[in-house]
Amino acid sequence: MSDQHPDLNLEIKRLIIDALGLEDITPEDIGNDQTLFGEGLGLDSVDALELGLAIQKRYGIKIDADAKDTRTHFSNVTSLAAFVTAKQAA
Amino acid sequence: MIRFNIAQWRAWAPGLVSADDWLRWSREPRPLTDDDAAPDVSFLPAMQRRRLGRLARMAFSVGWPLAEGHDSLPLVFVCRHGETPRTFDILSELAAGQPLSPTQFSLSVHNSVIGLWSILRGSTAEMTALAAAGDGLEQGMLEAAALLAEGAPAVLLIVCEEQPAPAYADWIDDVPFPYAVGLLLTPGDDWQLSPGQTKAEAEPCHWPHAVDLLRCLLTRQPHCHHAWKNRVWTWQRIH
Repeated sequence: MSDQHPDLNLEIKRLIIDALGLEDITPEDIGNDQTLFGEGLGLDSVDALELGLAIQKRYGIKIDADAKDTRTHFSNVTSLAAFVTAKQAA
Repeated sequence: MIRFNIAQWRAWAPGLVSADDWLRWSREPRPLTDDDAAPDVSFLPAMQRRRLGRLARMAFSVGWPLAEGHDSLPLVFVCRHGETPRTFDILSELAAGQPLSPTQFSLSVHNSVIGLWSILRGSTAEMTALAAAGDGLEQGMLEAAALLAEGAPAVLLIVCEEQPAPAYADWIDDVPFPYAVGLLLTPGDDWQLSPGQTKAEAEPCHWPHAVDLLRCLLTRQPHCHHAWKNRVWTWQRIH
């Protein structure tokens, strides 16, 4: 599951680092299945909004901030890659 | 008239970091070239410093070492123009019809620097953000003196300005170079600050007031005068 989209995973990690200004962190430091928010990488609610905006801009997809499953899509890099792939296919 | 001690100071400007750098500059003051460098704030973990813009880095780099060892230290933060590069970025995005960055937007108020200070230091001491005109140093000093008079054992005063975005160059003429000055103020009689007035508009100080006060302090001048519009402030060293 984790290696289903290796290129996309790397791209999303770079997007996270760039969009959120994570100094001193490289894509290798972020695990595919590492929790992004709260415990894990330690991102917060402002980061969630910023990352949502970066993903909308990069992939031209719409994210509904109120949708129940948005939280699930943003839980880690693997789930984000799956979400982006599914949205782009739709 | 107010009296106080300047217990410690720290300052940053492009190329001027250490006390020796500032002493040399004070003996031969000259304009500085902005190299876009920001001071080192690596004393903060990467996850914590990622939201600090250049102005916040400048303020933190001078304030953080002064605050060490003080449990509850009130802070007076003085900045006339604020983070104009950020403001300009946000306005440019708005003009282009682009969605605003939530991070940039959340930091786009004048007191965001002291908000970050409060969060990162875990401090709930009293903090004030002032945007005064050319005599912000003196207005901030009044605020600090009031806190000392209320019983604060020490007050941190930070005066800083960032190089304005180029678009504002025609309107902002009082920032010759980016600078941050931090003063740790304590009760005492070493220094005296008195307000005065002139009828005609007096010649303004050649350097930003906070930088000029530092020059006066380091070259051991007995006093210095800072005129702004019809106000003339006299800083006098008593002891």
